[in-house]
Amino acid sequence: MLRFLEELWLLTGRSLKVTLREPWAVIPNIGISLFFLFVYNAGLSGIGQLPAFGGVPYLAFILPVALVSGSVGGAGAAGQALIRDLESRYFTKLRLTPVSRTALVMAPMLSGMIQLVAQTVLILLVALALGLKLPGGLLAAVGVVVLAAGWGLGFAGYAVGTALRSRSGRTAQAATFIFFPLLFLSDTFVPLTLIKAGWMRVAAHVNPTTYVFDAMRSLLAHGLVAAPLLRGLAAIVALAVVTLGFAVYTAQRTLRDA
Amino acid sequence: MATLAVLHGQDDSEQTRHSPAALGSGFALAAQGLRKRYGDGAEALCGVDFAVREGEIYGLLGPNGAGKSTAVQILTTLLLPTDGSAQVFGRDIVRDQDAVRRSIGVALQETGVDPLLTGSEALELQGRLYGATRRAARERAHELSGMLQLEDFAHRRIANYSGGMRRRLDLALGLVHRPRLLFLDEPTTGLDPLSRNALWDLVRTVRSESGTTVFLTTQYLEEADTLCDRIAILRAGTVVAEDTPSRLKRRMRRDVIELEPEDPAQLATLLRLVRRSQPSATLEREAVRVHVSHGATIAQELLAAAAGAGIALGGLRVAPPTLDDVFLELTREDGVTDTGEEA
Repeated sequence: MLRFLEELWLLTGRSLKVTLREPWAVIPNIGISLFFLFVYNAGLSGIGQLPAFGGVPYLAFILPVALVSGSVGGAGAAGQALIRDLESRYFTKLRLTPVSRTALVMAPMLSGMIQLVAQTVLILLVALALGLKLPGGLLAAVGVVVLAAGWGLGFAGYAVGTALRSRSGRTAQAATFIFFPLLFLSDTFVPLTLIKAGWMRVAAHVNPTTYVFDAMRSLLAHGLVAAPLLRGLAAIVALAVVTLGFAVYTAQRTLRDA
Repeated sequence: MATLAVLHGQDDSEQTRHSPAALGSGFALAAQGLRKRYGDGAEALCGVDFAVREGEIYGLLGPNGAGKSTAVQILTTLLLPTDGSAQVFGRDIVRDQDAVRRSIGVALQETGVDPLLTGSEALELQGRLYGATRRAARERAHELSGMLQLEDFAHRRIANYSGGMRRRLDLALGLVHRPRLLFLDEPTTGLDPLSRNALWDLVRTVRSESGTTVFLTTQYLEEADTLCDRIAILRAGTVVAEDTPSRLKRRMRRDVIELEPEDPAQLATLLRLVRRSQPSATLEREAVRVHVSHGATIAQELLAAAAGAGIALGGLRVAPPTLDDVFLELTREDGVTDTGEEA
């Protein structure tokens, strides 16, 4: 077990090191998240005065959209890191070492998670600078980071699984487009009560992102409230079980005989 | 190493048998009936047997598509065989992958190195992945950089390395954990002659200094000839011959003798004389040429005969057989197998 953790740490460290050497692979993702935050907050904040928002400032309402888009992007980086290693064939070199196969696949995910947490903290700090109030205090902020990381982990499983399966940067990149329906077929800009299109309301109910948004919004506006938080965590666990299962299954198949 | 001394420069006539019973000691690597059929039905290996002795430099020689890469990938645990088995120092390559991975070092065409790392970082990480402490890994990285003349570039990113440097780094990565068995997949393909000779020297040094067994694949006959103690020739997924390079060459009865008379007018007389003992002799420009099994012996006889007939010779050439002849003969599509070993 100790040996496994050491291997995981070595491989994750390597992954982070090379990510920092190519920062332009990461910066656009942070940029997009901050762009969402600025633009939607500046352009839409007036509607926060509608009664459906229940007095929650629009900044607190829209911030989770920036966080979730950032976490999905960060998780996609995990898949991209793996693709990079598959394409440079360094991954094959690592497979020849006696290193645990699990550590080989988990390292890019863990490295993606670490990037994602750093990114989430950065976006939160920017939001605080824009005037975000946190009635729930530090605990609520930590809760938001945990939700973002959990959601990112679920997405990382998907990204790593498709990377291993396709072994091609383009296919894996294309697979991340699932991000758009996940992010926007939801109560992304306004509460569900303000959404008039029936199909959109159905989609939002089915989309697990909705529950993550709601959990984050509840944390930001009211601090720890059990019901929305538990629904958000349940959505995350459900996604993570499916995608990590997919990643492990694909890894076992492709690592055994590739 | 005793086996090594025996193997060097001698033609031990003992035929290697690959039965598992013979594998108890002295063998670094052995394969029995190794088969690989890919998903599309293509059969890359059709039952390959061989055994590599400890301390030996063993070459798997074959043209493109013969199955060399598939064989190496199976033996290094990257691929699973469809059938058959193989052992590295007695450990099964399928059931005991971890132990196999620990005892082998590998420089494969199919692998690469992260171009964003520096050479020394890659070497250090490699050492630590095999369980070395940070300090030991750093020292070993330094040592190998020196040995493979990578010092000047050790702190540069691998993206900036030339082909030859990458190849040396690849070899260094394979040697980090001091493996008992080193796999080299076409180690000099694409290298210039100077780098190629340097790499051969390195392989010899590694073997002589640490007794490392070397298993290499190559499509270069010269490489197999000068570097390997024994070679197996692979054709379309089957080993068609396995022996020392010199024995394989002798088996082909391909020694060439050329006799050139001082006076070109005596060419016809000389040809008649040679044909008395060697009916297959031919006329080749200004000389009489004959293919024989033991060049030196026959040449002596022919020289004596020419002297007896009063023909003065202006030139004599006894050409050692080249491995090309063996290779071409054995890898021809209609494949006359001359080994008595394979169907």
